[in-house]
Amino acid sequence: MKSLWIFPGQGYQHANMLTHVDSSLLHYVENLLEIHLNDNVQDYLDYVKLQVSISLLQVDQVDKLIAKGFYPQLVAGHSLGIFAAAYACGSLDKENLFKLVKLRAQLMQNAYPYEYGMGIVTGLTLNQLEFLVSQVNHSSMPVYVSNQNTPDQIALSGKLTAIRKVLVLAKKSGASKTLVLKVPVPSHSPLMKPIAHSLCEKLDKINIRTPNCVYLINSSGYSTRKPEFIKKDLSESLIYPVYFNSMISIATDFKPDTIINFPPGSPFRKILSQQFSEQHQIYLDQHIFDDSLFLLNKWKRGLYK
Amino acid sequence: MTNKNHNWASQRDEKNLRMANATSIINNKFVRTENAKELLETLIQPNDRVVLEGDNQKQASFLSETLASVDCARIHDLHMIMSSVSRPEHLDIFENGIATKLDFSFAGPQSNRISKMISSGILKIGDIHTYLELYARLFVDLTPNVVLVAADKADKQGNLYTGYNTEETPVIIESAAFKNGIVIVQVSEIVDKLPRVDIPSDWVDIIIQSDKPYQLEPLFTRDPQNITELQILMGMMAIRGIYEKHHVQSVNHGIGFNTAAIELLLPTYGNQLGLKGKIVPYWEVNPTPTLIPAIENGWIKSIHSFGGEVGMEQYISARPDVFFVGKDGTMRSNRAYGQMAGQYALDMFVGSTLQIDKYGNSSTVTNGRLSGFGGAPNMGSNPTGRRHSSTAWQSLKPTDNPLAKGQKLVVQIVETYNSAKKPVFVEHLDAEKVQKEANLENVPIMIYSEDTTHIVTEEGIAYLYKTNSMTERQEAIEAIAGVTPLGLRSNAKKLNQLRNKGIVALPEDLKVNRLAAKRSLLAAKNMEDLVKWSKGLYNPPAKFRSWS
Repeated sequence: MKSLWIFPGQGYQHANMLTHVDSSLLHYVENLLEIHLNDNVQDYLDYVKLQVSISLLQVDQVDKLIAKGFYPQLVAGHSLGIFAAAYACGSLDKENLFKLVKLRAQLMQNAYPYEYGMGIVTGLTLNQLEFLVSQVNHSSMPVYVSNQNTPDQIALSGKLTAIRKVLVLAKKSGASKTLVLKVPVPSHSPLMKPIAHSLCEKLDKINIRTPNCVYLINSSGYSTRKPEFIKKDLSESLIYPVYFNSMISIATDFKPDTIINFPPGSPFRKILSQQFSEQHQIYLDQHIFDDSLFLLNKWKRGLYK
Repeated sequence: MTNKNHNWASQRDEKNLRMANATSIINNKFVRTENAKELLETLIQPNDRVVLEGDNQKQASFLSETLASVDCARIHDLHMIMSSVSRPEHLDIFENGIATKLDFSFAGPQSNRISKMISSGILKIGDIHTYLELYARLFVDLTPNVVLVAADKADKQGNLYTGYNTEETPVIIESAAFKNGIVIVQVSEIVDKLPRVDIPSDWVDIIIQSDKPYQLEPLFTRDPQNITELQILMGMMAIRGIYEKHHVQSVNHGIGFNTAAIELLLPTYGNQLGLKGKIVPYWEVNPTPTLIPAIENGWIKSIHSFGGEVGMEQYISARPDVFFVGKDGTMRSNRAYGQMAGQYALDMFVGSTLQIDKYGNSSTVTNGRLSGFGGAPNMGSNPTGRRHSSTAWQSLKPTDNPLAKGQKLVVQIVETYNSAKKPVFVEHLDAEKVQKEANLENVPIMIYSEDTTHIVTEEGIAYLYKTNSMTERQEAIEAIAGVTPLGLRSNAKKLNQLRNKGIVALPEDLKVNRLAAKRSLLAAKNMEDLVKWSKGLYNPPAKFRSWS
């Protein structure tokens, strides 16, 4: 079995998503970070609890799969998901993962209290959108092309007034859908430099190990087996767009036969079903763990026939 | 004048020295599987030119995995020559610091990664070659120090059997064996007696039994279930407006559903038109399963192949009148001869592409994907020195020049919009941008405008060879480019002028009934039908089986 493990970022969190998380892991995280996780809607308005909870959910699933003898050959995280990806490939240990995620969330929470955020445009090419952004972007109206999820679904990041201006232009230029996202931070843009700087200082004191498999890099869209590139991604990915589209294209060249989608949600269902029409795919949050395991074991047997 | 002491056999001495260093692990040409890595680290030297066999089907996968794992302190700066870059470890060889330069033909399955590696400077491209150019250079200025190839079986003397998937193994081995190169072969099996000898043991230095059989992809198999009615319509137009019109006798089909549709229309639509025996009895093509109905229906006299196709073995073996089969009962293929036939023996090439520009140049290289082209640039070009004449070749001869000569038919069949709803007809090819990004000498065009004689879309056929100027050529392309930005430049008046001159034909001009373009017209509608046509001799690979 040659599997690609995909870890989404925030956006699809929901109350009670931690119900099946191993209780000792939950207590470990609560003690380590000195926070209490209630796993409810109120909690998920808080950046720190939200991001820690998502990572906790992903780490729990990684541990359970590895305990059953499943290992990734490729890992791909999206934004926050890179921390669980780095954990899954053996580069980042559990303690540092949660400490880093908490720090990242705190920094993000305090960076831009209001007026900033992200938007999304569907139906224009990168070149078209870059042109529109260049017409609006200005020191008092900062807006940047951000995450590239599919060739025609691209995010914007910056000041909300500037984002709205680009969205209007995008509609006029034939975009099929434009949307302001419920994200209070201009993530994945140069506006995140101070946060990246603080993360970098923290990461310099952490040992990032050589990964056991191929790690797909958010900030370049390329692949690596080198720990220094993973460290750079963990600290700096907030400054750059997530080149998810490129990561997935690169992943196809490694010819995985099974795709395991980690919770929460299934934000990339469409692009993944297009790119991996011949591969087995599983969404872990749509089955109870035993059912997922049953399918994975079945595919593993079939593939070795 | 000459130095009496000059050593005219320095390369041979060098080879003998390297071989002598490895004697402890070589036992009469044979090396144990577990010593493969040590062997490569001993026989290969930094800066060597190394050919690694990776055709688009057969892969020397054991040797490529081994090469990717060698110590880069001992082996580095290799210049790799590979017709096809298709496996992840082919690029790991560069990422791991073992090789730096690459000459290749096709990189479809690794096109995303290769593109990124070029832009980050991990890999330098020599050239993107056509197959024949690459093979030819092996005998001129790219003679290899070491070649790593794959065979099915070896006998105890070291003779090789390559069978159905002989492909380019002979041409690679010959370039090394007679120019002091070291020939290393992975074999799936070592036997007492071979079915036949494809390559004599004298040409081989080292044989290693691989841990598992070499990788083989059923690359040319298309499931008829996925053929659309638009593809059937284009197929009907091509049969009437090109195959029949030019009395085409010999043909190569590219990979794809468009050409699969044509293959499956011959025994139905072709028979309705009374064309059996009149068109395409001779083929240079891989043994694609969608040809089975036409073969069984008596359409095809001969098929020579570049390589084999997984699942077709028994069927081919039972049809030696049609295929090239040894007296042992298995097929022999040869990619170099196949490409040669494409250049000099065939009336026509029919293929497809991802982009066509306003001039008629086409390419499958798009933004972020440096795919190379495989066979298409050889098959889809017109060798100007050719003088072998046939009715089809002659039919493209201009009438106003007594010294004029004919031309090979090069046909592109495309839908005006691709499956991602992007226009296929574009102002500028992405390839122009890729040339700059990847620092290539030439724009990676697959088939040049001057060689393209016909373009078929769901709108109609453009007979480009009839155009008298570039303006007229552009108008002909626009006339069949549908509602793409390029197509919108055409209008009814221009279209009718071009139709009157015979430069553009719509389905009605060809007496093709659009309403008849139904899937029921296909001789086989799914894989099961193909198995039935083959009388149970075709054995589809598992991924094409929907039944058990």
